[in-house]
Amino acid sequence: MIVPYHLLQASGSVIFAAQEVDILSFNTSMEHLSTWKYPVKATETPSELAADAEASATVEAPPTPEGPPTKRRRTENDEKEAQAGDAGTPNSTNGQKKGRFHNKPQPVNLSNEKPFINCLLATANGSHVIAATGSDKTIWVFEHDGSGNLKQLSQRAMPKRPCSLTLTTDQKTILSADKFGDVYALPLLPSAEPTLPPTVQSLPSRSATPASAPIPFKPQANDKTVHTKRNLKALENQKISMELSLKAAAEKSAEESQPAFEHTLLLGHVSMLTAITVAPGIGATGEKREWIITADRDEHVRVSRGIPQAYFIEGFCLGHEDFVSRLCVVPGREELLVSGGGDDDVFLWRWKEKQLLGRANILEEIKNTIEPELTKVAVSRLKGLSLASGETVVAVICEKIPAVVLFTLVEDTLKHTATYSLKEQGVPLDVELLPNDNLLVSIDTTEGKPDAAAPFLVLTRNGPDSWDQKPVVDVPAGETELNGEEMQKLLYTTESLRKMSDFD
Amino acid sequence: MAAKKNKKQKREDYRAAMKQDDVLTMPRKKFYRQRAHANPFSDHQLVYPPHPDQMDWSTLYPAYVAQEESQPEATPSSTTEDLSAPVKVKKLTQDVEVADIGCGFGGLLIALAPVMPQTLVLGLEIRVSVTQFVEDRIKVLRRQNEESKAYQNVSVLRANTMKFLPNFFRQGQLSKIFICFPDPHFKARKHKQRIVSTTLNSEYAYAVRPGGVVYTITDVPDLHGWMVQHFEAHPMFERVGVEEQEGDPCVEIMRNATEEGKKVERNKGEKFVALFRRLEDPVF
Repeated sequence: MIVPYHLLQASGSVIFAAQEVDILSFNTSMEHLSTWKYPVKATETPSELAADAEASATVEAPPTPEGPPTKRRRTENDEKEAQAGDAGTPNSTNGQKKGRFHNKPQPVNLSNEKPFINCLLATANGSHVIAATGSDKTIWVFEHDGSGNLKQLSQRAMPKRPCSLTLTTDQKTILSADKFGDVYALPLLPSAEPTLPPTVQSLPSRSATPASAPIPFKPQANDKTVHTKRNLKALENQKISMELSLKAAAEKSAEESQPAFEHTLLLGHVSMLTAITVAPGIGATGEKREWIITADRDEHVRVSRGIPQAYFIEGFCLGHEDFVSRLCVVPGREELLVSGGGDDDVFLWRWKEKQLLGRANILEEIKNTIEPELTKVAVSRLKGLSLASGETVVAVICEKIPAVVLFTLVEDTLKHTATYSLKEQGVPLDVELLPNDNLLVSIDTTEGKPDAAAPFLVLTRNGPDSWDQKPVVDVPAGETELNGEEMQKLLYTTESLRKMSDFD
Repeated sequence: MAAKKNKKQKREDYRAAMKQDDVLTMPRKKFYRQRAHANPFSDHQLVYPPHPDQMDWSTLYPAYVAQEESQPEATPSSTTEDLSAPVKVKKLTQDVEVADIGCGFGGLLIALAPVMPQTLVLGLEIRVSVTQFVEDRIKVLRRQNEESKAYQNVSVLRANTMKFLPNFFRQGQLSKIFICFPDPHFKARKHKQRIVSTTLNSEYAYAVRPGGVVYTITDVPDLHGWMVQHFEAHPMFERVGVEEQEGDPCVEIMRNATEEGKKVERNKGEKFVALFRRLEDPVF
């Protein structure tokens, strides 16, 4: 079995593809050039084992009264239970109150603890490649020699898991949108000198108290703010126990303090961020400016000013009725933005005016040609492709749907041009533009017919809605420690953004 | 267990009785109590418009509905509306301009109503039962004052403002935001749930017009320090001076009319007030 290539990024005449935790490079004829291997995997996982041991230790140990309890992670069994509960099947746990200690320690399935590349990005001139891995929350920067070889330059662990990355228009600053809702700016190349102008100050984070000298413990509450007998007693006990553990806590917090590298908090949503992009434009004074556009799980698309005024919200592109998972600024028409997510439509906006120009129904298109019974879609890839022919195409992939839906931008509307069915081959994971206006599609072949199993397809258009397809078979198969189910979970994460109430 | 059930039953009966059209007695808090904390990060069963233009204010402020010929209303459902026919909602003669975020049992709203009779004031509260109490309270007050038309300018809505403030209010719609005795979230691990943070202040700056004021009050010194720190760190806000602060009639109301304010008074606690003015938009 070939491990699927789930992310594609073209950079000049080199195509980068992420395969689980490795990054492979190909030339435009899809011949393999080079591979960057994730370091832990290569060195027979001593640190991973340590991490595993640590994880299981924290699961089994009862929460210590002093320190904050470790974050409770959703486990396999939780999910099954939740599903059983939803389905309304008689379940002994249904009537039980869901307490914090309700779940007995049990072997945790760490499939979502395995590193997995979830963002892949290249600078405009192709000199650098940036990737983010989940679980270890790390942003990797590589130098690219122009012929597919990557040299790792830096490895930076963020405070929270990055969900989406982008670059500022000057290509010098990485913007990372994380699961907690914050957007951080960090220099592409870490240097001794700060790269952002000194006027840009990091906002105080709501998740972490700024690193400072250890403050002597002072309870937040006092006898004027709590009154009941029990609370007063609790306060007394808190004082005693906190004084005892103060020293240990101070040492621990020094260890766990903010990452040492330069990173600036720019803005934040109170929601999981799903996508970030930067759009250029002209400011009020006629100068070239840029705007940061962020999307979250709570249906918002927010337009903020670029650095150094990222704290200023220009407005919201509101209209989505389910989560937003992908954004793309239309190449060549940078005043336009396409957004997609759990809604039936993708939305076309004039983002600066926050004006909705139109909606294009993908659900209908897929129902017409692929699956008539389909009731919902979750957009997992949305790419604006600027063809050499002058056409601007928006390619949409929906999670677990064996099709690539293509729209052409005609003035200010998205016109459906093709729904390319991949029923025979499997489920598309990503799409990228090759020279000569060919499309490269990477495919998860597990659900396709085995004899048609090719991890890549090159689509050549020879008519308005007629395509030639050429499978690419001769690529490294890769190896993985993940079983099929774990792999599926890591590959398909978009539908899980949908709110549970929608399933009613 | 039997007693508990009984209590629940009493609650339901009481609330059903309050739904009658002729109730003139004020609702009693004991039938609406709810745990004081709500997790702002979870997906509650919330109702909110996808866009402020699709918000139907007419049920909240019936006395301010604009007299227009209005077509039968399309219910804002998940069916995809045509762009050419956006959801029709009844327009008000004026917009909501004052928001009380986390209005609790509504003391501030009721006290503000006669002070700013020309302004629409909205309370926002995340707890269902408490919102219901305020709703019933306003309903009764409106009924009691039918002739003077008092309390028509205040209303309440259940919402999670930390997530959905921009779904209700357009840019610069508000002139005042009140944040009174917010949940202090004492534990460091819970600080991220606090209703004031620099990143969230950007949304307050979005909803409040330049020159507008955000009012904060708390009895927890550390929370006061946190709120001041996070607002002062935000380039769109400046702290209002003490003199101007004490001259503002709303500050006095905020100190003494809110339920929490009264409770702190009873317990002889301290109250910390801080006001922040929204600055002009910077040039970009």
